[in-house]
Amino acid sequence: MRNRLLIVGVLILSVASVAFGTDYAIVVNPANPLRALNLAELGKIFRAKTTIWPDGKGITLVLRDQNSPGTKFILEKVLGGTFDEEKAVLSDPGRKSAVPVVFAESDEEVMRIVGANAGAIGVIDVYNITGGVKVVKIDDKQPFDPGYVLKGR
Amino acid sequence: MKTRNFFPWMVIATLFAGGAAVRAQEAAPAASATSTVPVTTSSPLAANAYEMGLVQREDRLFVDEGLEFVRQAVKADPQFALGHAALGYFTVDPKEAKDESALALKFIANAAPDEQLLIHWMNDTKNGDTVEAISAMNDLLAKYPTDKRLGNMAAEWLCANQGAYEHGEAILVRLLKYDPRYYPAMNNLAYCYALSGQPQLAPPLMEQYVAALPNEPNPQDSYGEIMRMLGDYPAALGHYQSALKINPHFNASQVGVASTYALMGDETRARAQYLVAIRGTKERSTQVGYRILWAMTYYRENKPRLAREAFEKVDVEAHLAGLTVQEAEIHRALALFNPDPAGALKDLDEARADLSQSGKSNLLPGDRDNELALILQARAFIAVNAGKTDAAQATEKLLENMAQSSRSTPVQQAYHSANGAVLLAQGDYAGAIAELQEDPYNPLSLQLLSEAQTKAGQAADARKTLETLAAISDERVETAVAAPAARLALKHDAAHPVQGGAN
Repeated sequence: MRNRLLIVGVLILSVASVAFGTDYAIVVNPANPLRALNLAELGKIFRAKTTIWPDGKGITLVLRDQNSPGTKFILEKVLGGTFDEEKAVLSDPGRKSAVPVVFAESDEEVMRIVGANAGAIGVIDVYNITGGVKVVKIDDKQPFDPGYVLKGR
Repeated sequence: MKTRNFFPWMVIATLFAGGAAVRAQEAAPAASATSTVPVTTSSPLAANAYEMGLVQREDRLFVDEGLEFVRQAVKADPQFALGHAALGYFTVDPKEAKDESALALKFIANAAPDEQLLIHWMNDTKNGDTVEAISAMNDLLAKYPTDKRLGNMAAEWLCANQGAYEHGEAILVRLLKYDPRYYPAMNNLAYCYALSGQPQLAPPLMEQYVAALPNEPNPQDSYGEIMRMLGDYPAALGHYQSALKINPHFNASQVGVASTYALMGDETRARAQYLVAIRGTKERSTQVGYRILWAMTYYRENKPRLAREAFEKVDVEAHLAGLTVQEAEIHRALALFNPDPAGALKDLDEARADLSQSGKSNLLPGDRDNELALILQARAFIAVNAGKTDAAQATEKLLENMAQSSRSTPVQQAYHSANGAVLLAQGDYAGAIAELQEDPYNPLSLQLLSEAQTKAGQAADARKTLETLAAISDERVETAVAAPAARLALKHDAAHPVQGGAN
């Protein structure tokens, strides 16, 4: 009988393989006073055009590995081009001293790095969020808000 | 069930609870000294009733009985914050949900810090504060990785409410690695697999579940449900009947038998079985829910006048019981089955009136908004089908306004699908397809999606959508309205094959 919610809600079997997207969350260290960014500001961080936070701390970008579906999606959304056009932004040797990019093997590792580094900003699947990081609104919306821009398909 | 002797249930509690000890604490508890989230109440009676509630509801799937135990818990200790939160989380009565969530927050200072986190998770899931709920849930799971009931509840929420199957499955697989004999997780994992498009993985788990607990009705009941979802009605009936042999009072199986007959087209037998199920529960909201299913059988056998009379009787019951959402749901069902568009729109006016008359004070805003969104969605669909595009567009605007400020998935899906319906009527097939795909579990949206795909020249996609719709095998009004037509269309196509453009 487990359970009525399941039964009444979603019953598409065998014929359909249901693919779900997820919302991606932009997270920072809880000590970071930042509450919101717009997509253009986030793009500047990704392109290493913005290199420090208002309090002077250097920014570190923490992402899952470059070929993960999430990172591909985020790059395209944030930078506006195709993944192939934009991926060079992350590996540009010139940005190493500006906004270094750290690639993590899991969302847990992203959160561990962001939680330990006051200047870090990371991207994770919203379902992995813990109290160890702070979610930043993008264009004044957080994950699950209507029209949230980092909603995956 | 309420009158059962307490002692034997304590034995069962030990068997199922996975180590969740019952504890009443008179002073502040030592947070997380054990492997389960603390439960703080000054009343041993409340602590026992709460634990029994979870054993019954979560472990044994005696849902109504479990709810009643939790009610007894908060009666024994009216300042039992977690008890109030659990009652608000479990109940299907919107007024009770609203009142109990408020009481949980009122007395939250009585709870231990981690217990407060659990209360926030329960309340946040109800209020649509999903990011906060996820954060609380993950913090608790990290701190109490061996709290099996916590993990199971979290996974159930992820799979059933959020469609986050991968995350739910990961939790359940981990729980089963830790304790391969934790059967509630096995049960939920089978459902998660079934719902995530891996139905072939579900029956083997059900076999294990049934074999492990041969004297419990729920494993047979779950197996029946899985087989019904797979469209194997004789097997489903066999498992439901096995559950009832084990425990003739396991009402979920009684309803399972009734609904399986209804889906098989044996409506007379279905009605008789629904009546047995209605007599088998004292929970008013559950009774009204079963009554709605009972009334639907008349529509299933194409007796609209009898169906309307039956629904109107249920409406009176729902009204007397103060079940506002169910009243609105009844009028929405009448509209969806109404062949006359003008009459259907009148039914939907009644549904909206139900919500606006008593809804404001009695309902959680989320519950009201979700039902209102479904009413407006139905209005948009009916208007489009009747060629009243302007009326549909006006309704879609109302939904758009709701969607601007609501994070609720039903509200979002209702808005997108209503917009899709309007775009379809306006001839923007590509736009319609994209919007209707946002509501992938609603048979009515799938019906329109198939139409949009056909008109866009995507014959293969349209057929796949139609097959998806035809394969849906559940008790919903929307399924009863849309799925039979899809099955007929497929039959017709099989008899009269035509060349179609593949995509």
